[in-house]
Amino acid sequence: MILEILRMAFDSLTVNKLRSFLSMLGIIIGVGAVIAIVSVGSGARSQVTSQISQLGSNLITISPGIRRGTSGRISFTATDLFTMELAAQIRQNCPSVGRIMPNVQTSGLLIAGSNNYQTQVVGVTPVYQQIYNFYPARGQFITEEHEANAINVMVLGSGLAQELFPETDPLGQTVKLFARNRNYLFVVVGVMEEKGTGAWGNIENQAFIPASVIMKKINNRKYVNGYTAQAVSAAAAKAAVGEIEYFLTRYLGSADRFRVTSQEQLLETITQVTGTLSLMLGGIAGISLLVGGIGIMNIMLVSVTERTREIGIRKALGAKSRHIMAQFIIEALTMSGLGGLLGIGLGWVGAVGVARIGGWPLVVTHTSILVAFSFSLLVGVFFGIYPARKASKLDPVIALSYE
Amino acid sequence: MLIQVVNLQKIYRMGPVQVEALKGVSFQIEAGEFVAIIGPSGSGKSTLMHILGCLDQPTGGHYYLEGQDVSTVSDNELAEIRNKKIGFVFQQFNLLPKANILQNVCVPLIYGGVRGRRRQLKLAEEALRQVGLGDRLHHRPNEISGGQKQRVAIARALINNPSLILADEPTGNLDSKTGQEILGIFRHLNEEGHTIVIVTHDPEIAKQARRVIQIRDGLVQKDEVIA
Repeated sequence: MILEILRMAFDSLTVNKLRSFLSMLGIIIGVGAVIAIVSVGSGARSQVTSQISQLGSNLITISPGIRRGTSGRISFTATDLFTMELAAQIRQNCPSVGRIMPNVQTSGLLIAGSNNYQTQVVGVTPVYQQIYNFYPARGQFITEEHEANAINVMVLGSGLAQELFPETDPLGQTVKLFARNRNYLFVVVGVMEEKGTGAWGNIENQAFIPASVIMKKINNRKYVNGYTAQAVSAAAAKAAVGEIEYFLTRYLGSADRFRVTSQEQLLETITQVTGTLSLMLGGIAGISLLVGGIGIMNIMLVSVTERTREIGIRKALGAKSRHIMAQFIIEALTMSGLGGLLGIGLGWVGAVGVARIGGWPLVVTHTSILVAFSFSLLVGVFFGIYPARKASKLDPVIALSYE
Repeated sequence: MLIQVVNLQKIYRMGPVQVEALKGVSFQIEAGEFVAIIGPSGSGKSTLMHILGCLDQPTGGHYYLEGQDVSTVSDNELAEIRNKKIGFVFQQFNLLPKANILQNVCVPLIYGGVRGRRRQLKLAEEALRQVGLGDRLHHRPNEISGGQKQRVAIARALINNPSLILADEPTGNLDSKTGQEILGIFRHLNEEGHTIVIVTHDPEIAKQARRVIQIRDGLVQKDEVIA
């Protein structure tokens, strides 16, 4: 019986091919949009998170807090608290912290012969390599000795080396840094490996010099902008954050004077934000599913009216109300189900296209397909019930005399 | 006794107006009879046909079909009775236009719960052969003539072996020669033992039955057996 009704549903859909397709279009677009958008969301998320973890693992950023201004006092960022010595103290007092380095940088114009390049100059200590998992490809990195004696040496990012020394070997060459209206001469001791574009600007085009050189010679300040710490292991990241917070609160006298952010927290935030975003966009796409359902209901109502006589004939031949009801619901279901299948195809194509343009991995989850498809079936049943009931309740005598 | 109607009444309410279509009709029909119900339009014969065909129910009186009082049964039971006990032949043929004639004849089998598509098709083919349409099985209704359509309708009416064949102006849309052919089929079916009730306004057609019940103004005016 079900098979017969299914066949009848297909038959009546193929009679009005264009009409059936147009009424399915809403569902097709709705399902397609849901799948494509959810896929774009997951693809973008997986790209961002992979970029973040590529920067280094278990990183914890310690930055100055805001001192709140009350009536007479101005609020300002508490930058005059973080010294090089404090970094060492954090390292000593927090057993879960493996490595720590200060964040200092400046920007300036690098000049080598007739080439120049405006870029960021990062003040580093030797642990930078391990913290960021970023090593020199040639020559050496900044050493303890360079740092301790504030020696003017420089390591170039691979892109920067290309810019400044397109033809010659940069190792041993002299580079002039023009910063804060003064010139400084540096000897190039190393060139970094290629790491690709990261999430925060192009690290390939940065220059690295000892932190002490920036602090003592260029900026003339004994304070740093903050610290980057690395937990001894991924599992210890949470403990490290707690230890740092506990230590600094005691040391600086207030928890307001600093902020501690772990990479884990950052990842969590990003995951949350992208998750919320794709849920929202998916929801908007879901509305078009609903609209598609209304389209199906509309065409089903037209169909019931058009086929009043057919319903009358079927009833005269012994169809019970539930037979008529099943026939029209299955017709609506066939329409929405077929629309759903076509929509999955459309969504897939859309997801592949967007992933290719955005350059992130194609992520089409079974869940999104399943949810979108079952939602389309649900829409079919929901919007099919009213027309089907209307059909099943027709009086056979009236239906038979309908012209 | 196949049919017994007792004081059958049907009142339609249209707003404040009440229309008495049947005012108390009583008669009996035995199995194997060939009866014509005749009356002018507005006489109530269509209403009577609908009630006899279990498409509608009376507002008063009783209708016993094979001993069962069907004047009070539920819609579902009524549908089942239509499927099993009554075969309809309409003036408008009332075939499903999108299905071929084989599929059309199958419809009562589907609703009657006859299982197996092959068995259904085989039964339908046999029925169509009986009415002389064995070579047109896959034609659609709009590809065959009026007389052929009515033969399909007769095959469809016969398919579930009903106790009563109810024909409503079966020759109304046919020319007189084709109409005679169709009436010939009914006579033949009656000779085979089928009970046939034809509802018509045409006395010429009524003459071909063995018994004529005349309806006028919602009442039986005359009930006579002819040769």
